[in-house]
Amino acid sequence: MKKVINRTSVVISVLLAMIIVGCSPNSGSNGALSSSVAERVYVAPGEQDEYYAFLSGGYSGNLTVYGLPSGRMFKEIPVFSQFPTSGYGYSEETKPMFETSHGFVPWDDAHHPDISQTNGELDGRWIFINGNNTPRIARISLSTFETEEIIEVPNSAGNHSSSFVTENTEYVVAGTRFSVPVPQRDMPIDEYKGNFKGALSFISVDPEHGHMDIKFQIIMPGFNYDLSHPGRGKSHGWMFFSTYNTEEANSLQEVNSSQNDKDFIAAINWKVIEEYVNNGGGTKMPAEYAHNVYDESTHMATSTMKKEVLTVNPIDIPGAIYFLPTPKSPHGCDVDPSGEYIIGSGKLSADLTVHSFDKMIAAIEAEKFDGDAYGIPILNYEDVLAGTVRSGGLGPLHTEFDGKGNAYTTFFISSEVVKWELGTWEVLDRQPTYYSVGHLMIPGGNSRKPFGKYVVAMNKITKDRYLPVGPEMEHSAQIYDISGDKMELLYDFPTHGEPHYAAGIPAELLAPKAKKFYKLEDNKHPYAVTTPNEVTIERKGNEVHISMATIRSHFTPDNIEGIKVGDKVYFHITNQEQDFDVPHGFAMIGQNSSELLIMPGQTKSSVWEPKKVGVWPFYCTDFCSALHQEMQGYIRVSPRNSSIALKWSLDGDELN
Amino acid sequence: MKKSKLLMMFGALLLLPLFVLPLWNITLEAPQYPESIGMDIYINRFEGAAPNDIKNINIMNHYVGMKDIPETIPEFEYFPMIIAGMAVLGVVVGLIGRKKLYLAWFILMTTLGTLGMYDFYQWEYEYGHNLKQNAAIKFTTPDGEPMSYQPPLIGAKMILNFKAISMPRAGAYLMFLGMGLTVLAFYQAKKEEGYEEGLDTA
Amino acid sequence: MKATKLKILVLLLSLGSIMACNSGSKTESSTTASETPSHLQGQASVEDNESDKNILQVAIGSEAHSTLVVAVQAAQIENILVNAGPLTVFAPVNDAFAALPEGTVDNLLKPENKGDLTTILTRHAAPGSYNMEDLKREASKGRKIYMATGDYLEVVVDGEDVWVAGAKVLASIQTSNGIINVVDKVILP
Repeated sequence: MKKVINRTSVVISVLLAMIIVGCSPNSGSNGALSSSVAERVYVAPGEQDEYYAFLSGGYSGNLTVYGLPSGRMFKEIPVFSQFPTSGYGYSEETKPMFETSHGFVPWDDAHHPDISQTNGELDGRWIFINGNNTPRIARISLSTFETEEIIEVPNSAGNHSSSFVTENTEYVVAGTRFSVPVPQRDMPIDEYKGNFKGALSFISVDPEHGHMDIKFQIIMPGFNYDLSHPGRGKSHGWMFFSTYNTEEANSLQEVNSSQNDKDFIAAINWKVIEEYVNNGGGTKMPAEYAHNVYDESTHMATSTMKKEVLTVNPIDIPGAIYFLPTPKSPHGCDVDPSGEYIIGSGKLSADLTVHSFDKMIAAIEAEKFDGDAYGIPILNYEDVLAGTVRSGGLGPLHTEFDGKGNAYTTFFISSEVVKWELGTWEVLDRQPTYYSVGHLMIPGGNSRKPFGKYVVAMNKITKDRYLPVGPEMEHSAQIYDISGDKMELLYDFPTHGEPHYAAGIPAELLAPKAKKFYKLEDNKHPYAVTTPNEVTIERKGNEVHISMATIRSHFTPDNIEGIKVGDKVYFHITNQEQDFDVPHGFAMIGQNSSELLIMPGQTKSSVWEPKKVGVWPFYCTDFCSALHQEMQGYIRVSPRNSSIALKWSLDGDELN
Repeated sequence: MKKSKLLMMFGALLLLPLFVLPLWNITLEAPQYPESIGMDIYINRFEGAAPNDIKNINIMNHYVGMKDIPETIPEFEYFPMIIAGMAVLGVVVGLIGRKKLYLAWFILMTTLGTLGMYDFYQWEYEYGHNLKQNAAIKFTTPDGEPMSYQPPLIGAKMILNFKAISMPRAGAYLMFLGMGLTVLAFYQAKKEEGYEEGLDTA
Repeated sequence: MKATKLKILVLLLSLGSIMACNSGSKTESSTTASETPSHLQGQASVEDNESDKNILQVAIGSEAHSTLVVAVQAAQIENILVNAGPLTVFAPVNDAFAALPEGTVDNLLKPENKGDLTTILTRHAAPGSYNMEDLKREASKGRKIYMATGDYLEVVVDGEDVWVAGAKVLASIQTSNGIINVVDKVILP
């Protein structure tokens, strides 16, 4: 008996050893599970993250705010898409934000957020983002984290090489991906070549208020302008755009735009052009584009249709624009923190091309050109080349910098981030991504002063990274620690929509100035009520304007009579609270619109056209307080011909 | 001028900062207010510790039927007069320089102060007990009595999930210091008299 | 009797060991490798038996391409062949590898020659989709095929037959992420 037990225990130990040995290679390779890595992304309850990360939402049209290193999402900022969560684009105040020359466009494809800069460093005033589909640029306040301004970009289509800011936020730049007839006209598509044009727009930013205005548009040859980045430091004053389809193909671009061995990076000296237009240069062209501005004090947006844009023909300003030959349809066009290196990622190539700013200037001064394209001088590839990164990866897309002399490039096809050294062009490290990475982001990685602690890789393909949720999934992102010699994968998190580019900034630059609520005394909305005593209802024909107040936990008034079928009822609701994080919501039964979510001190309006006689309730949609469930009211709707007078009350006290 | 006289006058003048500095403060701490909210009490007004604190205290308190903190109270009319009067009186007493008057001023001031505290207690009692009958939330004590929400006169007290802290503020501390100085003035005057007597006997 | 009990115990424990490792050994189903190489934690290890087969899966399933598959695994480029693409892979059959001078393949499969092997294989992949018809159209427009290594390969058409850089295209297979053109030669520089 004893022997059997001994034998059994030996067998058990051997098998246990097998289990352990059998499993260990996997647990060993899953470095992210080890406790030290877990601790590095763990932000304890009540603690806060080190960085803000603003990820574009792609086809969600919006911008999401995350914390790094935790990967927690804090907010979705509605920008180009209607957002029923807050009523953005549904409220009367925000509908004008979606006005365009094509009418009301309540969606877009948001791509490349960029934070405003001063002296080439992030200043945390605003973040800009482009709408790709119906060309627009938006400006978002980084104190309210709300969209404050949207400007449409005429003569543009597929607004992709946007919205990158120059070193002092003099301009936010928007370049067209699809060239189009300029001005638009009825013409055969196959007469594209030579006739279609690519507009690169330089939108000035008012240094005080951030207000945008198209200063000038450069009407370039009909290539596709893919991405852009500003020069910085010594190359400040220049802007670099990658181009593809220099073949000027108008069909089956996947083949026909991939024929030329080299396309171009367009180097544009905007300071020269700025001086040219300041001295009266350029041609005013009739155009139609909307300029929509949200005013924080009135809590209202207004839309203005502009009728004219100043255009510049490249051949009229010699010395301002040059083409740098760059292999194989370059996608990313990134400039290192010193401003010396311009990196072109030929997306069909295995190698990265690095151009030298100094060499470019020398070649320009020596007038060493290799012909021209539509009158724009082409420099010799060899004359401007600083080096080639033989990466060993496939499908390079985008590069960011850590400020310590290293660059990090994403490779879509080989699904990896490759770290390499500026100057030696040597590959130092490579890490897989999950899967097929697009952009990557290092906070400040597109400025003179990157904060090179983390890189976030944003992937296009998710597959099996998370629990399955059917065919449609959110995209995955990975955070790597880049503070050491080798990149370390820390964490993997789902994102919202399709993040293209992102922008990050240290928390201490934004958190202290984040707004907590709007001051009631500053509320200049025409229908605002700054105390519940001021509430009123006005009838103008069949239009009824109800100025209503909300405060924990009731509406003033909450009983309204005298509304008739066929009326157009405007609710103007002012949240009387003056306390951080006490929003009130408003929803009316059967209203053909979204709710309103009203922040303390804010006024929002929505329209209700009652169609049925009856007594209809409305309520607060935000669990504002312990008596939130009691926060409701009734509106009596009488027949169209009724003679019931308007009457409004609270707790039986008539207020009119 | 004699040191005792200066002490008396300076002590009395230390009442004047009450016109700019708060006398008392009530602070409420709760998890939903990580930065706490509170109210400073001056001799002529209430003021939120942060701009909207009084409004927010009123919003919270209305659920249990507490009345709004009033914009003003009658005390704000006569407190400034009393304080100004006592300061003037103190200076006059100092100029007269009779040590018994110093003591009399101190006793009068102490009496007035005690009356003030009693008045404050009365107001707190009324504020914490006299609740609206239609209050949304009515708590009772374990004995079944309606709960009261009276803040402490001085010190800290838990009221439901709020910690209410009631403490004097800079104005009050200067006033106490001033009153102390007038007592010191009394003893100093006594010493000075002793010294003069000594001179006489010499 | 006691021996039987012992056998049952052993069986249960073995079962337990398999179950315990189950989550970790997922990737082994798609490769014959005895341990899980770290690179295989990429997209090639995604388990999906329902979707249309991708280039890697089709190649693995083709007996005529067993040498190519071994080479792909040795070069550790499986993840590239499952990428969204589109990719066109010119896939030499086993005979094509066998026709190379003796020892060439064995030599390339050595770990120290991984770089050379990767370059050779990458030279067989083109970004974009080119089936037989597309290749003919490219040839008719006088265009060469741009390969992932940066080389351009010439397409020659003679009647129904198509050659790419001297390798005859035997068949075009549509996969979920691109095209496999079966070729009879290894395309060397």
